[in-house]
Amino acid sequence: MSLASPDQTHTSTYRPQPRRRRNWFMVQLGGLYGLWLREVMRAVRDRGQLIGGASRPILWVLILGIGLNPYFRGEVYGQATFVVPFTYLQFIFPGVVALNVMFTSVQSAVSVIWDREFGFLREVLVSPLSRTTILLGKVLGGSTVALMHGCLVLVLARFADIPLTAMGVVKAIGLMAILSFAVTSLGVVIANRIRTFEGFGIFSNAVIMPLYFTSSSMFPLDPALSKEQTYVTYPEWLVTIVEYNPLTYAVDSLRGVLIHYNQFEPWIGVAVMVAAAVILFAIALYDFRRA
Amino acid sequence: MNETVPALRIQNLSKRYGRTVALDGVSFDVPRNQTFALLGPNGAGKTTLMHILCTILKPDSGVAEIAGFDVVKDPLEARDRLGIVFQEPSLDDRLTVRENLNIHGLVYGVPQSLRRERIAEMLELVELTDWADKPARSLSSGMKRRVEIARALIHDSEIMLLDEPTVGLDAQSRQRIWEYVRRLQKERQLTVLVTTHYIEEVETCDQVCIIDNGAVLAIDSPGALRHRQGEQLLKFVPRTEADRIEILNRFSDRLALLQGTTEIALKADDDFIESFLDQFGNRVRSLSTEVPSLETAFLSLTGRKLRDRDADAREVTLAFGKRGGEHTR
Repeated sequence: MSLASPDQTHTSTYRPQPRRRRNWFMVQLGGLYGLWLREVMRAVRDRGQLIGGASRPILWVLILGIGLNPYFRGEVYGQATFVVPFTYLQFIFPGVVALNVMFTSVQSAVSVIWDREFGFLREVLVSPLSRTTILLGKVLGGSTVALMHGCLVLVLARFADIPLTAMGVVKAIGLMAILSFAVTSLGVVIANRIRTFEGFGIFSNAVIMPLYFTSSSMFPLDPALSKEQTYVTYPEWLVTIVEYNPLTYAVDSLRGVLIHYNQFEPWIGVAVMVAAAVILFAIALYDFRRA
Repeated sequence: MNETVPALRIQNLSKRYGRTVALDGVSFDVPRNQTFALLGPNGAGKTTLMHILCTILKPDSGVAEIAGFDVVKDPLEARDRLGIVFQEPSLDDRLTVRENLNIHGLVYGVPQSLRRERIAEMLELVELTDWADKPARSLSSGMKRRVEIARALIHDSEIMLLDEPTVGLDAQSRQRIWEYVRRLQKERQLTVLVTTHYIEEVETCDQVCIIDNGAVLAIDSPGALRHRQGEQLLKFVPRTEADRIEILNRFSDRLALLQGTTEIALKADDDFIESFLDQFGNRVRSLSTEVPSLETAFLSLTGRKLRDRDADAREVTLAFGKRGGEHTR
């Protein structure tokens, strides 16, 4: 080892690496793995988030689901009769899966604000990783955590009388993965537009809950009814919101996979989610590169 | 790598936020393997300059080069050579020290075997090997800073940027941080650019650049800066009354202070002290020199110490995090 000056008293094991071009793609891939790993490790260590992720579905499924169960079947509204061949518990279960995925996704996306200004992300922004890699790592990490929280709900399936098949679980995981990617991207898009943040409550109240409540996850729009009949049963504005809410279609396809009940064509849900994921990630990336 | 290229070259760098001028035509070079201090009051433009150097902020005009690579045109090459310690702690509190360093290594594309080796080596350097598997939140703020310094050196950084590395630390931790920085510089070819507003810390740096209101007020060695801003005083007590009278007559133009009947203080410079000692060395007692402090130099250049202003959005968020707000750990 050649030392800088002859009067050097310290010995060092420092081994400078020859500065050759390492494969750009491999560096990005390693970095992507690092970013993803960090998100997942953080989530696993955060007991509060885990407790929230487990208790939320229990509350929704056990309390709300069981409590409203008797009022669900065979209701008569004027001329129209609802016949959804499921218990309320079964009906809202896929919605609760979506809710848990959404909560966790947005939660991890919100941490982008803090991370970017002070935390880890600042450090990453000055690394040799491209902005795309950084954002992709962050979103993939957040989606993975959200996916895990979605699976937590699936564990409760038997309490809701939902028979899970292996195929059904695989399909559900696939759908949850796309949904969590889309919602995490949405969270980042919102986070990028906010300069300060004082916690997660605002996001939860302004984004997640409205999306959830108008996604037909709490009540069905009866597919047997014509548009006119639907408008008789529900106010027009509500039907319009439900129909324009992309989450409606995500919940619907989850419902199709889990309890084999679809209000819309099954493919629409997948198409809407993939489109949302791509568009939202593109917007997030555009913002992120500019910032 | 070309040894003749300065580690940092900053030329005519300007940046404004709206109508506020953060940097106003700043220029300086930092030669390799030097410790270069940026000294200035809060809001002087130090952090803006740091952010431009680490490529997260684009300058309005001017050039900043890191080891010859322009931070705007060649940011990836520039970043690859930088090790950065930010002003606010940026360790991941939920991960252990080793995990923090490991993820940094992954992100910077350090191959696994080298990563493991460097982590062990750097932890040893900052004397935190015993803490490697403890979660980062269990460390004191001084220890966290040390981990951050270790982290900045996991990859092949040639230039370390330290933004207020010792702010908020106790005297002992501050001293230690500087010890590590100096040891590192001996062991590894490392250029250090540090911003600080602790004047006593820059005494040991090779060069000090005083900036305020986005402009460079002075660049020099700490000693030269001191001399430039005030004269040295030579204080002594003459042995006999005859000596006293002779000295007073001879150097009446240099007389600065006459204390009581014994001590005399003369304005002096290095040459004067030498010739004075030649002639009167054996005729005076209790000889001392008083060197003006950097503090006086700094105050006379900037005219003040601190500047108050409203908290911006960033500081509001930081305060939220300090209160332990959600998603900030």
